[in-house]
Amino acid sequence: MDLALDSLKFIDLTTSSIIFLFIVGFIGGLVSGFIGSGGAFVLTPGMMSLGVPGTVAVASNMCHKFPKALVGAIKRFRYGQVDIKLGLVMAASAGIGVQVGIKIQNMILAAWGQAGSNLYVSVSFVAVLVIVGSYVFYDAMKSRNGSGKDETPALALKLQKINLWPMIHFKTANVRISLWFTIPVGFATGMLAATIAVGGFIGVPGMIYVMGVGGLVSSASELVIAFAMGLGGTINWAMHGMVDIRLTLIILAGSLLGVQLGAIGTTLVREVMIKIVMGSIMLIVAVSRALAMPKYLAQLGLMDISPDAVAIMDKTSFVIMCAALALGAVIILGAMFKARKAMARQAAQEAYGQA
Amino acid sequence: MAHDLTKKQALVRMVGFGIASAAVYGAAFLHANAFTELCSRGGVYAAMPIATVFLVSYVHGGFASNLWTALGITAKSPAKTVQATQTKRPEVRATLNA
Repeated sequence: MDLALDSLKFIDLTTSSIIFLFIVGFIGGLVSGFIGSGGAFVLTPGMMSLGVPGTVAVASNMCHKFPKALVGAIKRFRYGQVDIKLGLVMAASAGIGVQVGIKIQNMILAAWGQAGSNLYVSVSFVAVLVIVGSYVFYDAMKSRNGSGKDETPALALKLQKINLWPMIHFKTANVRISLWFTIPVGFATGMLAATIAVGGFIGVPGMIYVMGVGGLVSSASELVIAFAMGLGGTINWAMHGMVDIRLTLIILAGSLLGVQLGAIGTTLVREVMIKIVMGSIMLIVAVSRALAMPKYLAQLGLMDISPDAVAIMDKTSFVIMCAALALGAVIILGAMFKARKAMARQAAQEAYGQA
Repeated sequence: MAHDLTKKQALVRMVGFGIASAAVYGAAFLHANAFTELCSRGGVYAAMPIATVFLVSYVHGGFASNLWTALGITAKSPAKTVQATQTKRPEVRATLNA
């Protein structure tokens, strides 16, 4: 006979919750495989909406994130898109960023309590996503009508010209840059990962606009960073016994299917699609997190709002977050479908020409 | 890619990995509560969930990869670039026509 689980830590699984986790896992995997990250941000609030305690939700999400990133990274390495050296250099400074991010979180928690901590997370979410997301989206729209290929941004070109020891050459990325310019990008990636759980929203744009790495290699190498950070985080959470392996395995069942499809997608569509998907998701998630802010402001006594309005905003925020992920998936699948159709048409024309 | 699988090969591999994946998931969920409790003991037991997800990423990842190939959803191979073949030109030698 199977033993009973601690009901305070582990939820009872129902058919609907299994289906929900599988589908969100699949869509999250698809987006992660395509843009390198960003698929996991719905899972933590999603699991919490099923009744999973916050720490178990974070731990179980992280435990699914690193094997998904590993599978995605291997797939994209086979396509020649991963710069392992870049990923590892970034992961090293991101590791320090994570530790600093956790320290800041703890300081805020001690000073202003849970509501203050939640407000800090939401403000960081909105600020980073609006600033970085707007620029990524603007840049994507600007280059959409062009060749669709990445051109090295002006800032990155300037930084690459500064010969500050030690200079590092990233072969796959075809970039030579000082280590000192990679550290802030990696550090910020780790800080953001510790704060909002999606470091890639800084990591990928940072690699593109600060270091001058192409969108394809940036998003692929981000999977190496996600693997390294995810594995480190999982060891920590698992040592404290916070992983619900049932949830992890269900999400993983969907996300391993999705991440490979997303990776295949990167070879079919124009490179600029990575920026379009990333920018769209970031801006919609910013709206979602902005809606969550009044609740925390009210808890801190800085705003007066009725509990009914808070409940409505909470639900709307979660729905918008799911919509962001779904929109990303629709754009990716739509672009893949169009690309495959164009390839089939071209193959038919070539066959007709040969006959 | 060193080796591109045909749809038939992918189908065979998909079935193999699929059976392995079903076996791992079946074993984990047959005694789900006991297994979850074991994985959440903390300390050295942290190795349990980590080893499990590595195993799953291999078998289920292999299944997923071959599933997409069997369905004909494959990556676009990079455009073949025509490389100019270098033919060795005859060396110019000074000759003496005597």
